Amino acid sequence: MNKDKALEELFLAQKPQFDDSEAFMESLNKRLDAVEYIKQHQEATIRRYKMALVAAFVVGIISGGITIVYMLSTPVRVPLFTFQVETGWLSWLANNSRLLTTTALSLLVTFGLISIVGNIQDIRRMRGEVGFRIN
Amino acid sequence: MTREGFIELVEQEQEALRGFLLYLCCGNKEEADDIAQDALVKAYLSSAGYQEKGRFRSWLFKIAHNTFLNHKASCRTTESIDEARTLISNTAADASFEHQDLYLALRTLPPKERSAITLFYLNGYNIKEIAAITEASEDAVKKQLSRGRDQLKEKLKL
Repeated sequence: MNKDKALEELFLAQKPQFDDSEAFMESLNKRLDAVEYIKQHQEATIRRYKMALVAAFVVGIISGGITIVYMLSTPVRVPLFTFQVETGWLSWLANNSRLLTTTALSLLVTFGLISIVGNIQDIRRMRGEVGFRIN
Repeated sequence: MTREGFIELVEQEQEALRGFLLYLCCGNKEEADDIAQDALVKAYLSSAGYQEKGRFRSWLFKIAHNTFLNHKASCRTTESIDEARTLISNTAADASFEHQDLYLALRTLPPKERSAITLFYLNGYNIKEIAAITEASEDAVKKQLSRGRDQLKEKLKL
């Protein structure tokens, strides 16, 4: 496509000139300083999240392992825990100790998994914000 | 890309970028500079992924074009030249600019046509390059240029 001469001359004759380039660059540098600060803050938060993630994983593995080993090492017919006082409610707890412990452990594992998935999603989201897309 | 490297390249290109955006904003210097700053921050944050060696200006223009379109999408657009004439007298238009008619005529064009016309006539890009910057097909750019040129010539009585 050929250029329209009259339009081209009009555009070129009116090419804008800027006499405030230094002020513009100074303002840009200030914005970039602010962006760097936020970026560093977000990266520090991501590092903290990662540490929390590793800590939760290690604690979960150790406590889960100990509980499972303890459960497997005790005879099936023997309750996992007993109480000194014999009342109806406490007896029921002691008789169902194995089932209750398994349920509590399962809930703990589920909660741990949900937390880990949540943390991973947060880290991804923050990385996306730090990485910024062009459009 | 380091920050120093980025700043060095921007110092060379900022006038062309601001000029492009000044035309897209139809002479509103304050708005154009604000969009330019936003676009440059976005470019800085994306500079790690910048791979188009030697085509920094086109890459910046692409980001600036997208930032401008996003900005326009969040603002009310005006179509009629009469309304534009009223608006421009109230905005912080470039006071030193003597020929407001071109800005007023540009204001009547849709943002995409305005981009294509500005890139073609002011910045000297060819159709293929404009298509890459505006992420449109070459046919679409040709149509935008043709429609924009006819409309500008009519408004400016060229």
